[in-house]
Amino acid sequence: TVKYNNLSMESYNISLTEHSSMPVEKNITLDRPSDIQLTCQLTTSRDLNSVNVTWKKDDEILGNDYLINATGNILYTQHRFTITNSKQMGSYSCVFQEEKEQRGTFNFRVPKVHGRNKPLISYVGDSTVLTCSCDDCFPLNWTWYSSNGSVQVPVGIQKNKYVRNGTYANETSLKITELLEEDGGSYWCRALFQLGESEEHIELVVLSFLVPLKPFLAIVAEVVLLVTIILLCEKYTQKKQPDSDNEKELEQIEQLKSDDSNGIENNVPRLRKTEPVGQ
Amino acid sequence: MASRAEPPDGGWGWMVVLSAFFQSALVFGVLRSFGVFFVEFVAAFEEQAARVSWIASIGIAVQQFGSPVGSALSTKFGPRPVVMTGGILAALGMLLASFATSLTHLYLSIGLLSGSGWALTFAPTLACLSCYFSRHRSLATGLALTGVGLSSFAFAPLFQWLLSYYAWRGALLLVSALSLHLVACGALLRPLCLAEDTTVGGPWAQLTSLLHHGPFLRYTVALTLINTGYFIPYVHLVAHLQDLGWDPLPAAFLLSVAAISDLVGRVASGWLGDAVPGPVARLLMLWTTLTGVSLALFPVAQSPTALVALTVAYGFTSGALTPVAFSVLPELVGTGRIYCGLGLLQMVESLGGLLGAPLSGYLRDVMGNYTASFVVAGACLLAGSGVLITLPHFFSCVSATTSRPQELVTEALDNKVPLPKEGLGEN
Repeated sequence: TVKYNNLSMESYNISLTEHSSMPVEKNITLDRPSDIQLTCQLTTSRDLNSVNVTWKKDDEILGNDYLINATGNILYTQHRFTITNSKQMGSYSCVFQEEKEQRGTFNFRVPKVHGRNKPLISYVGDSTVLTCSCDDCFPLNWTWYSSNGSVQVPVGIQKNKYVRNGTYANETSLKITELLEEDGGSYWCRALFQLGESEEHIELVVLSFLVPLKPFLAIVAEVVLLVTIILLCEKYTQKKQPDSDNEKELEQIEQLKSDDSNGIENNVPRLRKTEPVGQ
Repeated sequence: MASRAEPPDGGWGWMVVLSAFFQSALVFGVLRSFGVFFVEFVAAFEEQAARVSWIASIGIAVQQFGSPVGSALSTKFGPRPVVMTGGILAALGMLLASFATSLTHLYLSIGLLSGSGWALTFAPTLACLSCYFSRHRSLATGLALTGVGLSSFAFAPLFQWLLSYYAWRGALLLVSALSLHLVACGALLRPLCLAEDTTVGGPWAQLTSLLHHGPFLRYTVALTLINTGYFIPYVHLVAHLQDLGWDPLPAAFLLSVAAISDLVGRVASGWLGDAVPGPVARLLMLWTTLTGVSLALFPVAQSPTALVALTVAYGFTSGALTPVAFSVLPELVGTGRIYCGLGLLQMVESLGGLLGAPLSGYLRDVMGNYTASFVVAGACLLAGSGVLITLPHFFSCVSATTSRPQELVTEALDNKVPLPKEGLGEN
């Protein structure tokens, strides 16, 4: 059949052998209606005519809309169809039935949305931006929800929350200014495609400034204590030896006085290093 | 406080080592781990990576260019009040940064304010350390500088945890409280009056006399060259390894190996610097040459064993040259001028640091791989060690283990009263 529409054509291929013990799966991400061509090939040493070939969608057997071809000891089967809505998404399998069943599965999913896996932390009065994006996708639109428990409430009506869709279609942000503690909680960003929806969860935690302030003040108090202890210790040890210090000072002053009066020559034997100083 | 003729080489000096250890941790450890905040700032202010990087660059630049100011102030007031003020400024900068609403706010609070605080702490502390030690100077400096390596290990995960718990505002607040410990470290810097301190002039006189001191200027040139090449592997090693096909995790692990051997090198070299007789400059030249050689060999090594061996060698030798680099200075200019000398030195060698990484990046962009940048880095180091040979007493066989403070008295006096014989004094 020849198609005259302007959908993009996507082809996918799975190869099986008679010795494949595990079912073979391929995950395919699709965000827009497309023409799909799925091909499975089975390499077997047995008689190709004895193999029963069927195509299934989610365990429902599909009609006769597929081709079967045999070359040498390879059996090809091809299924062509169009995906235009979310009901047509899912898992399509080619099943080769001989003694054992050999199955290849194509899983069609809408693109996954990424948010943050860690909670986003911010402070009362601050502003923050929650972002969601998906790789290589073009959603029809994005929506944001906040949830308390299981109820999801659309966001974008409250005055301090602004939905900003990024410069590229594959990302969106929710900017919240003048945060309040009640603004904390779970937020959901949802991407709508022609072929379905995808959503992700972001947790927002709003802290009051007192939370880090308490450890801060504790550490400052500890530093003040340390400094006081160090300076007091020094004063105390100094007080214990005032006499010896004075004695040493007097000695030094005597020496310097005698050096000055004797001139520099007397210093030379004591001070000089054996090689000339400086160059 | 009694005037001493000789550095005590122990006693309270070990508390100064402890203080210097925590200070190098709190200044450089914080600076090195600041990359953790980088991602948060990019997201929070929705700015480009290059503009956010300026925060750390301004901080480093202010710290290094402000070092002479810190040193000059310490010659006038002693290290203790200067370092304590520096600690308060550094903590204040971080505190104000936690309230930031724009990137400019961060440039001013972290870059300018905290940077000035850091400028007032590091150079005076190392100079104070040199006053307290002469025989064990290298070991003391080496031990003190291990603070940088250990804190890089500890602070990066700590900051990451703070960020995940308190977000960047709360984390900055707590880093501010952490930086306040610099004040406590400053309190430990008991002033020590050495006999020659009283005879040397004020800060301006010292600075000008240093700028006319031939050996000091040559030493500055040598250290600037060394600094240009020194940082390159830290910046580019991981990228070079990934170019060779390494995965990110083993590459990061190799950096940790370099950090560990850096630590070992610092302590070993500190001990060696004191144990070996002769000018310390010779040891510096040895370590610098070995570092330069190991850097230049990096492009040649392809097999993992060779790369690991080279990384260990680079880490060890580059760590080994740091305490010795600081120990050469008192021998050159005397403990009286040590504060100003250190400050000036930090400022000039920072030019090397500022130029090194961008130059290496430029070479990489032009040549397509890191071969040229590693070779140039190695060449800078070898050139620096070449300049070191021109320092005085390099080839002398006589031991000059202690820099007698009295030597500076002779110098200073000779500047005013020329001695008729023996050629003592400067030409």
